[in-house]
Amino acid sequence: MPTIIHADLDAFYASVEQLDDPRLRGKPVVVGGSADGRGVVAAASYEARAFGVRSAMPMARALRLCLHAVRVSPRFARYGECSASVFRLFRALTPLVEPLSLDEAFLDVTGWVEDGASPRQIAADLKDEVRAQTGLTLSCGVATSKSVAKIASDLEKPDGLVVVAQGAERTFLAPMPVRALWGVGPKTDEGLAQAGIRTIGDLASCADGQALRLLGTHGVGIRDMARGIDQRPVVPERERKSVGAETTFAHDLVDGPELRAILRQSAETVARRLEHAGARASTVAIKVRYADFTTVTRQTTLAAPSSSANTIATASTELLDQLALDGAQLRLFGIQCSKLVDTAGSQGVLWEGDLRD
Amino acid sequence: MVTQVNAMKVTCLQENLARGLGIVGRAVALRSTLPITSNVLIATEHGRIKLAATNLDIALSCWIGGQIEDEGAITVPARLIADFVNSLPQEKIDLTLSPRSKQLKLVCARNEATIGGMDADDFPPIPAVEGDTYELDAKILREAITQVVFSAATDDSRPVLTGVDLVVEGDVLTLAAADGFRLAVRTLKLKKKAAEKQEVIVPAKALSELNRLLQDQEDPVAMTFNANKTQVMFRLKDIELVAQLIQGTFPDYSRLIPKEWGSRAVVEVRDFLQETKIASIFARDGSGIVRITFEGGEGAAPGQMTVSARAEEIGDNEGKLDAQVEGEASKIAFNGRYLQDVLAVLDGGRVALETTGPSQPGVIKPLDNEDYVHVVMPMFVQW
Repeated sequence: MPTIIHADLDAFYASVEQLDDPRLRGKPVVVGGSADGRGVVAAASYEARAFGVRSAMPMARALRLCLHAVRVSPRFARYGECSASVFRLFRALTPLVEPLSLDEAFLDVTGWVEDGASPRQIAADLKDEVRAQTGLTLSCGVATSKSVAKIASDLEKPDGLVVVAQGAERTFLAPMPVRALWGVGPKTDEGLAQAGIRTIGDLASCADGQALRLLGTHGVGIRDMARGIDQRPVVPERERKSVGAETTFAHDLVDGPELRAILRQSAETVARRLEHAGARASTVAIKVRYADFTTVTRQTTLAAPSSSANTIATASTELLDQLALDGAQLRLFGIQCSKLVDTAGSQGVLWEGDLRD
Repeated sequence: MVTQVNAMKVTCLQENLARGLGIVGRAVALRSTLPITSNVLIATEHGRIKLAATNLDIALSCWIGGQIEDEGAITVPARLIADFVNSLPQEKIDLTLSPRSKQLKLVCARNEATIGGMDADDFPPIPAVEGDTYELDAKILREAITQVVFSAATDDSRPVLTGVDLVVEGDVLTLAAADGFRLAVRTLKLKKKAAEKQEVIVPAKALSELNRLLQDQEDPVAMTFNANKTQVMFRLKDIELVAQLIQGTFPDYSRLIPKEWGSRAVVEVRDFLQETKIASIFARDGSGIVRITFEGGEGAAPGQMTVSARAEEIGDNEGKLDAQVEGEASKIAFNGRYLQDVLAVLDGGRVALETTGPSQPGVIKPLDNEDYVHVVMPMFVQW
């Protein structure tokens, strides 16, 4: 049986801000764009969460909920550095580290457990090490599978450590709301509730047919997860799939020089991020959100993979022109580049085609 | 008409049967829609016992000595009989077939086993390959296969590239394999001059199997293509391997071999391989990039080659070796795996690396003979 740790840094961005600026410690800190600019909350310290502030909440609302909150603009470069130091500690423990984001990862520590180490002790040591080396607190869930570990890490946040013993998975999951399961979003949740399924235990007792009906093609897999069955391995070093940049406007915009300037700026941001990731992109997509929140995306494949701001801007402009916006009011524009190829080292090709004249 | 029922009865030594089953076992189908292909054929033939297996891509036959009391043939599950015979002591084994029940009885020392079989008549016929035949030295053929077979493609998006191109012309046999990123070409002398030029593509897998069999082979090997070039047979002592040829046209690779170079470094194969292996340890995390730079020494000083790799945020390594350098200083990066593959098949001695730029194919050839050349495309990296 594998032993998997889901390690999740507590209120990561906010914790980094509190770490770097002692005046923020113990205070409700909200990281995100400014309230007058329609900014949203990227992260909130636990002090701010006590007031009901949550990630992805409009900043204006967050500041109404917590009047004395301190708003800090995000410093992503700094978060990247801190994340790298934490991941170095993860990788010192095991090479089998699957990053989910800057502040979250799965670690496969099966080898340590087979050598006689206690799963709880491994996680406790990791938490201590992260605190000692970086000053950040980590919550860990330890279980025999990814999905159970992920649910477990969330239970005693912040600074939590929950170990679910082998064999205890199903009883552990049973009382939890189905929403806690991976792959169950608000919409699925609603459908399940209508069928009288509220807890993971309810879902666990569904037959294959019912699971398929309620949850679609992945139904049986999700139902198995509800039973604590999840054999997905920890896949180290997940490759970056896409790089993007999007802007929510301070006030609705119609197509014009201002939008085109934002497009140019987004293309430059994306190009810089691609360069940072050591990658070139094969496809470019734009995303436009109208004032009524309908969102459309359009994408195109580049003649050759590129990380040039000009190429990305040209492709995006063509896509935007095709949308025929006709004076429509817009609230968001974004560019996303995907199908990335590594620039750090791409294998050259000796020949292509059939080599005949 | 009454079907003749043969109650095969033979006796042989455990070690001979075990060895024979081991040889043909490599051609047994692992997963097949044709169940009989997971069986091995056991038959009497010209006073010997013939064992054969086929997965329809390749067929292996092997003849072992034994006493034939009654002629006959049967097929039995290959894995079962091989595992059983391997576990027996080195003594005589009596094999007796009850033809009606298709049960093969094996008696050896303290054991008596019965294995249910299937009719030999239902076994896929192994084609008799007749046509132009060439005689080859086993040891040299083995070396030649080793030097090219690793360059064949492993994915079958372009089927011809999963094979090794064999060209017979005059008294020379040329073997070539390429996967789009690298090319290996080896020539060897035929014992006799060929009447006309022939070209076939043999599956790399079949040649790898042949290589395994050539290990303990001293007698010359006979290679035969059938007239319409759909099959090849390699005949060794007491063993025959028949393979289906790959149909299609092999790329005209001659134009891929650079005719000139701008820089050339000559180093000891063993040192170069060793440094590449060490660098590859560090290159694991970064798509396997191994960087090579070399330049001539000042005045009478020898030149130097540097083999290095780095793992982002983890560490790096640099190895230095003496090199005899001609032309300009050069830098080029390769997939460490590709470099190891080729250096490992060169039998010691010294090797030349020729380059014309960091994005142009590199050429690797042994210094002491002209019969081998390897072309490998570099990796494009930021220096």
